[in-house]
Amino acid sequence: MASLGSFILLLAFVVCTYAAVISVVGARRRSTSLTESGVGAFYLVTALMTLASTIIIHAFVTEDYSIRYVDNYSDSAQPLFYKLTSYWGGLDGSIMFWVFLLSVFGAISVRLNRERQRELIPYVVAVISVVMMFFLFLMIVHKNPFATYLTQTPVDGRGLNPLLQNFYMAIHPPSLYTGFVGMTIPFAFGMAALITGYVDDSWLRAVRRWTMMSWLFLSLGLTLGMVWAYEELGWGGWWGWDPVENAGLLPWFTSTAFLHSVMVQERRSMLRVWNLSLVILTFFLTIFGTFMTRSGVVQSVHAFGEDTQLAWMFIVFMVILLLVSFGLLIYRLPLLRARNELESWASREAAFLVNNWILLFSAFFVLFATMFPTLSEAVTGERLTVGPPFFNKWMLPIGLALLLLTGVAPLLAWKKSTLSNLRYQFAWPTLLGMITAVVIYALGFRVWVSGICFAFCAFVLGTLGQEFVRGARVRQGATGTDIMTALVGLVSNSRRRYGGYIIHAGVVLMFLGFAGAGYKLEEQVLLKPGQELEIGRFVVRYDALRQSNDDQKQMLTAYMTVFEEGEFAGEMYPARWFFHKHETEPTTEVAIRRSLSEDLYITLAGYELSDQTASFQITVNPLVNWIWLGFAVVALGTGIALLPESTFAFAAAKIPAGAVTTRMLVIAMMVTGLCVTFTRAEQAAEPQRVIVVRSPLERELQRSIICMCGTCGRKLLNECICATASSMRGEIGELLDQGKTKDDVIQYFVAKHGSQEPLAMPIDEGFNRLAWFFPYFVGISGALGVGMVTFRWSRKAGESVPPPEETDPQFETRLDDELRNLD
Amino acid sequence: MVKKLLRIGLTVLVLSSALGGLLWTTMSEATQYYKHVDEIMADPVAWYGKPLQVHGYVVNAKRARNSLDYRFGVENNGAVVRAEYTGLVPDTFKDGAEVVISGRLSPEVFTVQADGIMAKCPSKYEPKPGSLIEGRTAY
Repeated sequence: MASLGSFILLLAFVVCTYAAVISVVGARRRSTSLTESGVGAFYLVTALMTLASTIIIHAFVTEDYSIRYVDNYSDSAQPLFYKLTSYWGGLDGSIMFWVFLLSVFGAISVRLNRERQRELIPYVVAVISVVMMFFLFLMIVHKNPFATYLTQTPVDGRGLNPLLQNFYMAIHPPSLYTGFVGMTIPFAFGMAALITGYVDDSWLRAVRRWTMMSWLFLSLGLTLGMVWAYEELGWGGWWGWDPVENAGLLPWFTSTAFLHSVMVQERRSMLRVWNLSLVILTFFLTIFGTFMTRSGVVQSVHAFGEDTQLAWMFIVFMVILLLVSFGLLIYRLPLLRARNELESWASREAAFLVNNWILLFSAFFVLFATMFPTLSEAVTGERLTVGPPFFNKWMLPIGLALLLLTGVAPLLAWKKSTLSNLRYQFAWPTLLGMITAVVIYALGFRVWVSGICFAFCAFVLGTLGQEFVRGARVRQGATGTDIMTALVGLVSNSRRRYGGYIIHAGVVLMFLGFAGAGYKLEEQVLLKPGQELEIGRFVVRYDALRQSNDDQKQMLTAYMTVFEEGEFAGEMYPARWFFHKHETEPTTEVAIRRSLSEDLYITLAGYELSDQTASFQITVNPLVNWIWLGFAVVALGTGIALLPESTFAFAAAKIPAGAVTTRMLVIAMMVTGLCVTFTRAEQAAEPQRVIVVRSPLERELQRSIICMCGTCGRKLLNECICATASSMRGEIGELLDQGKTKDDVIQYFVAKHGSQEPLAMPIDEGFNRLAWFFPYFVGISGALGVGMVTFRWSRKAGESVPPPEETDPQFETRLDDELRNLD
Repeated sequence: MVKKLLRIGLTVLVLSSALGGLLWTTMSEATQYYKHVDEIMADPVAWYGKPLQVHGYVVNAKRARNSLDYRFGVENNGAVVRAEYTGLVPDTFKDGAEVVISGRLSPEVFTVQADGIMAKCPSKYEPKPGSLIEGRTAY
């Protein structure tokens, strides 16, 4: 099966190449049969990738541990669900999953647009195929998920990281990938528009929905990551500005900017270059994010050696990507001139522009701060780090500014808002915001950032409410129905507008949750049974520590009694679980007492069985549940904006007035219910005997030899802390004690493992250099060859195509006039 | 056209210099040097009072009775720095554990800031969100 899988990947690569070449040739020769053939080949890739996915899933389910990837990320004890999700548990599989998703999305988008965007389709096929070729190449030469063990087959797998065997972690990556991969489609259409020169707005219409959908999944992925961190990791927070989190956030910023500036282009034919740049940037950042987190470039420059090969492949791809796409953009600049000028700063397009700048700046800031340790080490040789406080310091004002714009922008008129217009729109919301600020101040909540945030939230909700009420009133007057029916009609008539407003309302709710963090209370205490701790409105009493067992694990549970405002409010049971076979990695079971106003969050951090003392982290997280609730509203709004015309018209006609609100409630409850579902986390921790490095030579050797345990992903010895690495470090130490030189030690490992496999890089001499270079040489010359063939092949016929007929300027003007009259 | 370009150019210049200046000033407050123990202890005086992240292995960890006050050493390449910390420590915190501690060095002791102990996660699995799991300061 494994060789079938490898073969299918190869075949997919070949078919992809064919699809890319034949589409371009077909487009340039204007031959329908050729472009159709390209589209056919493109569908074939989808079929092949589906087949490859089926094979790897089959291998997981049937426990075929001869495949390395299956062995590394699953074991026989794993429940079926996690066997399936192990598909994207590691790097090799997630790349394949990426290609699979891309082929499916690509096929769907091509199928949907093949009539309307006839001119663009061949190039869309070509661009997506080239992207897939990159990832397929990556798999074939470097990260083949179907790689097998050459010698003996393990009896059982090594199992997926227990920390990842959890519901959120199982669905979080595919959601994020769907978002990431989905961003390729707008990029492909944008590129096709640039290549063909059909840079009017039609490509935008083709990709708007795709972007929105991908954006939703990206947001969902980020939110699920937050839920996971909050519920499972047990440190009391939900966002830590971890490089991996940031990688997901970067394209989110640019795609959010794109979704807004698209409207300006549709309405006012401005920002055309800007939109294309955003599409390119978003796609670039999805690739860059993957590169940043997967190549090890971020953790440390030393870790760059972790996967130098992968890093270089990505770098080459990204450089080409940037050069080609921005090169094309510059080449097409004359076609992209804006048809309108910004008339006033008090206009909606100006507000959107400011929003875009802020979002873009956020993306660059997060990128810069994430890469800062790496950059500083590369530039000055001194490794400097910046922590979450630095991110917070910058992102708080940025977030507030965005929140304010959320309210302001939709109230401004296109082109230019007059003074009376401004007064009419802003009077009530501003008043509401100010009242909120005063009330919060009077109540004695003195956290400035959060206070301002609450006032802004009130302001934005005021603007949104005003929009809905005024719109519904007008409609009520026109149709004579009751206000609820009018509201439904209103939303169904301009779904994008009101869907957008609902998204904004969700964002406001999320900001409520963010602002709540300003009032977070946190205590770390050591308690004896009977002792109490007062935190905010709560008093928490530690009663006892009890030990119990079940089939799977030993559980150590702390019994806590909670009093709220002096009244008994319930019991809480933070615990640590020691799973059999994983006794050294106890899992932290957070106890959370939820409410809309705040969460009481207790983790059992340490304990002394002899005298029953235990240490706890006790946190009060105000308003945190509003984040999840807010996301549910965001999802609802996106859903409304995405619904096709016909569905909604039909639904709106049938649904009785009150039912919609009920349905919203149900959906909101369902999603929050999902968030509230309690699952367990496993804190992975593996104490190991550590051998201290005694000499620079020893350190150097540890950096040039990799761990041979097979699971560590070829980690360097100085970084890997598994048992095999530990014993290998021991061997190095002993050899050096015997007075062996560097070469002796290297020769020892080469002889011991029968090859140069344990070396981080092949010995740099003669034939080995060639071996290093060979796959890249073949890859690059192949790419060049394909490009040349495509070009020459298509040019011949291209010349025979008659040049487009000269058009009469007078006729053009008349056509323009008549078209304008049509609107 | 020239006027427009000039206007755009000036705006960009002002904005970028303002942001750059802000970035620079906040940066100097927020950055920490990332060092191994032996690099620090080669010339400890130079590092007194500076924000540091120090990488090494825990030795002689002790907790005072009935408190969360820890005293321990962090060693690398034979050099040891003595450290003090009050609060919760990661699960893996024990003698021999690989840690990164954040805080400041004084002539007497390295004072670890709140939540300033990060234990390196087992590298058996690929890094996922939270590769430095415990002791992170964030919202």
